[in-house]
Amino acid sequence: MTAGPLDVLIVEDEVLVAEELAFLVREAGLHEIGRAMSSAEAVALACEFTPDLALVDVHLKDGPTGVDAARLIAEDCGAVVLFMTANVKRLPADYAGACGVIGKPYTEQAVKMALGYLEVCLREGRAPGPPPLGLSLAPRYRDLWGGGLAQTG
Amino acid sequence: MPDISTAAQASGDPLEEALAQKSALLHEVDHRVKNNLQLIASLILLQSRRTPDEGARAALQTVLERVTAVATVHRRLFQNDPLRFDVADFIRDLAADLASAAGRDDLEIVLDLDHVAIPAASAAAFALVVNELLGNALKHAFPPGRGGRITVSLADRGAACVLTVADDGVGLSGEPPGFGSMILKLLCQQLHADLQVSDAQPGVRATVAVPMSETPP
Repeated sequence: MTAGPLDVLIVEDEVLVAEELAFLVREAGLHEIGRAMSSAEAVALACEFTPDLALVDVHLKDGPTGVDAARLIAEDCGAVVLFMTANVKRLPADYAGACGVIGKPYTEQAVKMALGYLEVCLREGRAPGPPPLGLSLAPRYRDLWGGGLAQTG
Repeated sequence: MPDISTAAQASGDPLEEALAQKSALLHEVDHRVKNNLQLIASLILLQSRRTPDEGARAALQTVLERVTAVATVHRRLFQNDPLRFDVADFIRDLAADLASAAGRDDLEIVLDLDHVAIPAASAAAFALVVNELLGNALKHAFPPGRGGRITVSLADRGAACVLTVADDGVGLSGEPPGFGSMILKLLCQQLHADLQVSDAQPGVRATVAVPMSETPP
């Protein structure tokens, strides 16, 4: 774990969405280490710069490859992955090793709250409470971080 | 759209193939709409960040809030029945988002929501109505230093569902109605809904009764 601000990789093929997300990452006090638009780029950047957190869309420039990319990033590059996708229903039951998902279209507030929440989870290894509205945790991470009761709604 | 051809090939039955193709197409369109709404929201936010003028920034912000209300509808659509929209779940999402954006510890939002499903075709209009009423209460009822409570209730009365947003804030301002009031009126016309705004002393109480049978299919 980085001692300073957490390092974040943005994996998103829609450049304007990525640009705005980068602002939100910075406003949350996190540090963006790079952006990828394809799965190959994403895995290469993740393994080179070992970010603490990777924000990954399912549909990338090379197709619906975000799920496989997420699995590689989580297993081989040691980053915690958060999906940000309009395709929530297409995620595998184990979330491909990711810690959770934010559904698109997300709101600015939902992302801010989720990033703040995940920063605590990553630094302390446990959740400060149930996840904020808009963030769904993967079962494995709910157990790992003890995110309290599942969020309703 | 690689999903569609593979879905169609998966089965030998032409009817099943057609159904698989239709559902894959529906999923594709749903996905596209959600991503495009995300793109629109990101565009507005990016432009707002680059706008030095405070008035222009505030205008972009209100546009963003209304787009966000519609986007929240689409995030919720297709989660269960594609033709019905669960208003209570939507209000819960929207209230959490607006409360967090307001960043006021001294305001309490109380939700008392019956489960009401409306036709998906009416969802965006209804969502914008909720957004206007709750947004108004959060923005205007409680000047800095004055805390209070906003109650949002949704009652299933059979022939109609009744939305009530009540606050115990400073009351009606007496200012001439603005753009928000205008779109609220228009949206209520579209929903064939009866809108009542009254001075609750203290605060404001707005009720919107939406006929369940007359909402467009």
